[in-house]
Amino acid sequence: MASELTLTVNGAKQVVSVTPETPLLYVLRNDLKLTGPRFGCGLAQCGACAVLVDGQEVRSCIAPVSSAVGMRVTTIEGLPGVWAAQKGLSAADAANTLHPVQQAWIDEQVPQCGYCQSGMMIAAVQLLAKHPNPSVAEIKDAFTNTPPSPHLCRCGTYAAIIDAVQRAAKAMAA
Amino acid sequence: MLTRRGFVKVGGALFVSLGLPAGSRGSLEQTSLDPNQLTSWLEIRNDNSILVRTGRAEIGTGMSGFYAQVIAEELSVRPEAITLIMGDTDKTPDGGYSAGFLSGAANLRKVGAYTYQALLGLAAKQLGVPATALTVADAIVSGGGKSVSYGQLVQGLHLDLKIPVTGKSAKFATAGANGVAGLDWEGMDGLIVAGDPPMKPVSQYKVVGTSFPVPGIPDKVSGKTHWSCDVRLPGMLHARMVRPATLGSTLISVGEVDKKRFPAAEVVRKGNLLAVVSPNEWEAIRAAQAVAAATKWTAWSGLPGSENLTKTLREYKWGAPDQSRGNAADVTAALTNAPKTISVSYEQPYVKHAPIGPFLAVADVRSDETVIVWTHSAHSQALRARIANMLGTRVEKVVVRWLEHAGQFGRTTFGGDGAEADAAILSQLTGKPVRVQWTLQDDLAWSATSPGWVSDIKAGFDTHGRLTALHSVFYSPHMLDARPLGAILAGMPAGTTKPGGFLATEWPYDKIENRLEQVYATPNIGTQPGAESPTGGLRGLIMRTPGQRQQNFALESLINEAAAATHADPIQFRLRHTTDTRLIDILNATAKAAGWETRPSPHPNARRSGSDAMSGRGVCIMVRAGSYWVGIAEVAVTPATGVVQVTKFTIGVECGKIINPRQLDRCMKGGLVMGLGEALKEEVTFDKEKVTSTDWSRYRILTMQEMPEIKVVQISRDDKGFGGGGEAPNALAPPAVAAAFFDATGVQPRRIPLTPAYVTTLLKG
Repeated sequence: MASELTLTVNGAKQVVSVTPETPLLYVLRNDLKLTGPRFGCGLAQCGACAVLVDGQEVRSCIAPVSSAVGMRVTTIEGLPGVWAAQKGLSAADAANTLHPVQQAWIDEQVPQCGYCQSGMMIAAVQLLAKHPNPSVAEIKDAFTNTPPSPHLCRCGTYAAIIDAVQRAAKAMAA
Repeated sequence: MLTRRGFVKVGGALFVSLGLPAGSRGSLEQTSLDPNQLTSWLEIRNDNSILVRTGRAEIGTGMSGFYAQVIAEELSVRPEAITLIMGDTDKTPDGGYSAGFLSGAANLRKVGAYTYQALLGLAAKQLGVPATALTVADAIVSGGGKSVSYGQLVQGLHLDLKIPVTGKSAKFATAGANGVAGLDWEGMDGLIVAGDPPMKPVSQYKVVGTSFPVPGIPDKVSGKTHWSCDVRLPGMLHARMVRPATLGSTLISVGEVDKKRFPAAEVVRKGNLLAVVSPNEWEAIRAAQAVAAATKWTAWSGLPGSENLTKTLREYKWGAPDQSRGNAADVTAALTNAPKTISVSYEQPYVKHAPIGPFLAVADVRSDETVIVWTHSAHSQALRARIANMLGTRVEKVVVRWLEHAGQFGRTTFGGDGAEADAAILSQLTGKPVRVQWTLQDDLAWSATSPGWVSDIKAGFDTHGRLTALHSVFYSPHMLDARPLGAILAGMPAGTTKPGGFLATEWPYDKIENRLEQVYATPNIGTQPGAESPTGGLRGLIMRTPGQRQQNFALESLINEAAAATHADPIQFRLRHTTDTRLIDILNATAKAAGWETRPSPHPNARRSGSDAMSGRGVCIMVRAGSYWVGIAEVAVTPATGVVQVTKFTIGVECGKIINPRQLDRCMKGGLVMGLGEALKEEVTFDKEKVTSTDWSRYRILTMQEMPEIKVVQISRDDKGFGGGGEAPNALAPPAVAAAFFDATGVQPRRIPLTPAYVTTLLKG
């Protein structure tokens, strides 16, 4: 049965009427029209659906929406807001900014098809929160060995991702 | 060439319209653009921005950026001024498949060149300066101390510039041609812009050769891109497919929907096509799982099992080769007379395109028989022809709208094998728009697959250790079955499929005097008489660097073995067998960048046992589509565990004039990552009933941690035109890694992938 659940997504309170076991991914995409997170495997094996829940990466394809009630959900659409809050930017400046991770993804021309990159940027934001200046080995380790699965890219953009994470690290430290 | 029909107020746009030569009107039925109107390839706006239309699509290789660069070059504008409309059968003129730059950009370059000449003519009149005295930069034409912008030139002007066009749009053909199921080969390229307009000389290029950013990336990064998976229509139903229990099962009885649990869900069925639909996606998913568990299918076990693939191919009764190249009598004589010969066989498994986003489509089959399909197919016009044929409607009734989605590496080059047929059938049955999202399991188990191969190669040497003759024979199930799965399962028209093997290798070794290459193809595995799968068995299809990927693995592995057999350095051995200076130059440049030490393989310390890692290096080359590549792999093999780690890979690429160095670098590295997956991990496994490698834990692709250090060496040439540079690096990985493994261990792998289990067996001998 559908229930009314209150979520905080990208800084805004949202009330949705869904069955509580519905995976967060479908609520974000279909009810809240946030299409950044994408369906990849439905098995938490690829990372295309990754979002941040209270700053921790969660695979939204298997996480029930009920598990996110009372917590802060962030998709790539909300990354500029995260950065603006972190830097204390004015609302006007915040509207015209991107998170340094997103800017680095543009500057390094990371996406090929781009389908997995939403999840890759989420993983990068989480990594940089813990390790502001990661080495190549630490980046590889984070994108491969962080549970529940490696972040997979079929276009093979891993080298570009490493370049972009290091570029973002520099920008965030500046 | 340029005809002016007069000046008409049309909002200040220069339309360059599609003109068809007399007698070709029949092909108009395949395109929705009416050539009698000023339908456009290209529009120049007052603000100098330019809208360009192409039936080709961005397939994740940066093509939309390359197109903008080459059009901008011909028009002398900035690439940022160009906006592309792609792949929409209603809004683009030409069709054609999206497999690469060479075929995809040719039309747009010519349209740009024709338009440039027309604009020069206009400017000459307006400025009173001869066209030859005009210069153009960033859409401003200057001459005689005066200047005018393109936008000003076309202000209030209706210029009817006829673009000569040949070729045909994609057309359905029941038997197919060249073995491509359901598609007439003639329309594969779509309409082709004819004639020979003056093109910008390479020496004047300003945009081509720079790392222009790919236009779609900012929207992809910020979450603004409207992907095909984002299409939502009023009244749309979400569907999940319930696939047969095996690759040859037919439906016995359908499980019921428990309306208490799933009040809005409905079962939809046609033939063996079964789905559950609901306005709520999660309900569709859950109800489909419940229905699948209660649905009964017939038993079938017509597959050989992947472990028996080679045996099955060996036992097939082959007739004449599908293609043969070279001189059989000369090769036979040369091999007979050669003082030394070697004979080697190589094997490769089935592999998958395996997109990160499983296929999906949305279709809206309306009561007036209009059909609109939202797709990420790489061949919108071919898909349109297939859908029209399947539904028994006229092609003009079908509109295909392309949107971006996950990279798929050739799976829809022929417009088939997606979820579009499922969606169209379900929409027709329900009377509502339907969105079909395949699961990962659907995609890995039921999509068409790049087939496994066996290859036999015999080589003869002279007394100086030079190759004098080479006889290569390739056997595999065919890879041109692009029939839409939904049509096959529903028993609707999909065309027939017949084997068609093709030789893809472009020959780099002109000093090997006698060569014979032959290729044979079987029907799909699982369609043998007596146990024929009604669903097509394991449908074979092309995948990135098709044919050449497989054939080059065999050929280049053989060259490495031949070098070893004659105690020659494998790069020096190659240099002795070619006079092609382009190949020689990129080989030398790549060897230098990789720090290649000249010596034969294996390494003097090569070892096949022990728990310490042994290092080795190996090389391969490839020539394809006017381009040259060299791959140099460095590996660490641990014999005790069978683990092969690729530690470094150097790629050399010479693809004529490089359009975008950064994107070429990205394509080389990305393609290599895909190829290393093939070399080390990827294999479609199947039992006697079905594919068993149906998730990422069982179909294993390369992870970031497994990626080696990658170095890319680029040579750009102004005198060789454009080559197809981006596609092929996946094919470099297997032969180079196999050669490096041999260097480390003294044992030559003759099959891939080099999994720990296979390596352990191999090293035990």
